[in-house]
Amino acid sequence: MSTPTQVYEPFRAGLPPLRRYWKSLWSRRTFIAEYSRSELREQHFDSAFGQLWLVLNPLLLSAVYFLLIVIIRGSSDSTRYAHLTATLFLFYLVANSLTGGVKSITAGQRLILNTAFPRIMLPISAVVIAIFKFLPTLAVFLVIRTVLGLPYSWQMLWAIPVLLITMLLALGLAVTISCINVYFRDIASFLPYMTRTLLYLSPILYEAADLKPKLKTLELFNPLFPILDSWSRALVHGQAPISSHLLIALGWAVGIFLVGTYFFLSREREFAVRL
Amino acid sequence: MNLPSVSNSHKTNEIAVSVRGLGLTYTTAIDRRPTLKARVKSLGRGGKQTRVIRALDEVNLDVEYGQVLGIIGSNGAGKSSLMRVIAGILPPTQGRVEVYGSVSTLLALGVGFNPSMSGRDNVYLGGLAAGMSRVEIDSHFEEIAEFSELGDAIDAPMRTYSSGMYARLAFSVAATVRPDILIVDEALSTGDAKFKEKSLNRIKELRSDDRALILVSHAMATLEDVCNDVAWLHKGKLVQRGEPKTVIDAYREFLQVGKSAAIDEDV
Repeated sequence: MSTPTQVYEPFRAGLPPLRRYWKSLWSRRTFIAEYSRSELREQHFDSAFGQLWLVLNPLLLSAVYFLLIVIIRGSSDSTRYAHLTATLFLFYLVANSLTGGVKSITAGQRLILNTAFPRIMLPISAVVIAIFKFLPTLAVFLVIRTVLGLPYSWQMLWAIPVLLITMLLALGLAVTISCINVYFRDIASFLPYMTRTLLYLSPILYEAADLKPKLKTLELFNPLFPILDSWSRALVHGQAPISSHLLIALGWAVGIFLVGTYFFLSREREFAVRL
Repeated sequence: MNLPSVSNSHKTNEIAVSVRGLGLTYTTAIDRRPTLKARVKSLGRGGKQTRVIRALDEVNLDVEYGQVLGIIGSNGAGKSSLMRVIAGILPPTQGRVEVYGSVSTLLALGVGFNPSMSGRDNVYLGGLAAGMSRVEIDSHFEEIAEFSELGDAIDAPMRTYSSGMYARLAFSVAATVRPDILIVDEALSTGDAKFKEKSLNRIKELRSDDRALILVSHAMATLEDVCNDVAWLHKGKLVQRGEPKTVIDAYREFLQVGKSAAIDEDV
């Protein structure tokens, strides 16, 4: 008799066979793309005004925050505005991954109860959506940067590894929080407060170098701190990021991704029962 | 996971699904939703209030290739739970399920559909959700569109569809997947009488020696017509399995006899 293609036995904590899981996930990459596209379309991002809103929303936000800085500090300059927009846009990539990811499993109830597929696909789609929302804002930033007359340099290419690290972090966070939300549904309501706190703890409204020494410990607990600082250094100032910052950022991203994915994969077979 | 389009190299009477000593229990919380707030509030108030439901109990069931197995039983008998365990959606609490081949499920219609997209886009979305590749959907698109009888409406957003149109498109997509093992849960009763017959015919077409079909239905006449084997579940236990006519007659008799006891409790 041939060997079975699938064996289902009582649920045990621990990882599913990873190779098979990956293969199955990879075979569904077009579904991830199509699913994300349909979600984006549902939010009207396929129309001209939808696209405009995509860009207008972060722009207005950055204008509001710039106003805040000018009022609090009494003055400001173009570099500071560039810093604010660059970091705010990247921050929203992470924040959108979190807000999209948190309900990805609970909202996919119908899909989960009726088809077998790697559940991690749903938070992945949430991150893909966040990336699609981020890309136009990156273009807007480059326009702003040019208008402000900031010089271009090759060091700006450091933004690419920083962006990749951010995406990994965003994915890890989305996977983790989507899983937590299955067990504690009210996490979704706490999330706005968490992201807001994260926003103020990150070097967005201020620059990392401006931080008082007493508050320096903040950067140890905030994975976004080294990321946003490196991002600003590369894109705004045209400097290479501090290498220790890059390494800390990478460490955070890999750590959160691995822990979150382990947590998710060892639990996901139970999701159908929990929903 | 279910991958269709695997070459059908299975022979009649080869085993497709083997279910051994399967048990499934749900622990349902009395609370509406699991929340952190509720968890914190219940700290120090002893255990959580839960109810244990035994959905499946010591079920043994073999399905062979070439078989069309009908599953009957009253509501809450565990039919859908059994289908979900075989499909790998729910993990069993006891026992072992072995599946030899690719599985596709038709447990609910229009899974993965997005109402704000057009019917055309949803054919792709639903097809991809069911595990088809884009190329496969491309090559079957005309067939799907024609089968659904939607005409020009295929390019209208699905939220403008009537429930019958929705169901027709969903069935058309699902019936295009060609897995080794197909599980259909009460999806046959869609659309009007004409479409019902059409979908029934499609199911009949899907019967073949190298495929196993499992149909859950309350339509006894249909099952008697389509299936070559019927299993009867009651309260999570397998009561009887065998010739469609024999089992269905026994089930009908049971329904008549136990009308006051067994049926009314499900109402």
